[in-house]
Amino acid sequence: MTDDGKMPDFSNVQGGSSSTATKIYVVVAGDSLSRIAKREYGDANLWKRIFDANTDLLKDPDKIFPGQKLKIPPK
Amino acid sequence: MKTLLHCLTIAAAVLLFAACGKKEEAPKPAPAPPATVAPAPAPVAVATITVGKAIGADRKVSAPVDAFAKGDTIYASIDTSGSGNATLKAKWTYEKAGKTAIVKEDSQALAATGPATSEFHIAKPDGWPAGDYVVEIFLDDKPAGTKKFAVK
Repeated sequence: MTDDGKMPDFSNVQGGSSSTATKIYVVVAGDSLSRIAKREYGDANLWKRIFDANTDLLKDPDKIFPGQKLKIPPK
Repeated sequence: MKTLLHCLTIAAAVLLFAACGKKEEAPKPAPAPPATVAPAPAPVAVATITVGKAIGADRKVSAPVDAFAKGDTIYASIDTSGSGNATLKAKWTYEKAGKTAIVKEDSQALAATGPATSEFHIAKPDGWPAGDYVVEIFLDDKPAGTKKFAVK
């Protein structure tokens, strides 16, 4: 609590998560595989790892749609 | 004589017919063994929660601590058992003088095939306010454990 009795501002807190298990990611509007790879792995170039794990769902890496549930293999 | 021959022919025919018509009893099939049902895999459950300043490639906290400095990145590592789909959520809160503020909430959906370790982390570029914090872990929106720590 600050000196004036207000609670601190946590709006700039940055967070993230990862797992040794396969994660499930739900595609949202504006997503691309490279954007998801950047967020999940910190490296957009790893998009093919996500594509390879989802060939049952994806035929073209440039065509993903909101609502699709993609498997995100552990990094 | 002719009648006797006729009778013998009929008797032989009847015997032959009876012999041909006799069916061998098929052996009874062995009783089927009782159906065995594979036990359903145990669902995902939270085993342990640890907090610390760093994690390894196995997502486990390398050195658990319960006190952090202002500039630390804070990690919560969650070991789970079981398999299946589940959603883990971490709710980080700050507590001081009886008041609580939500610091951050994050979740991740998992498709576990056995024991796994997952982590959530938070960082604050301008430094953490000193005080007491709690990270609550939820599994499929049900409380699965808490860990308290402080920033000094």
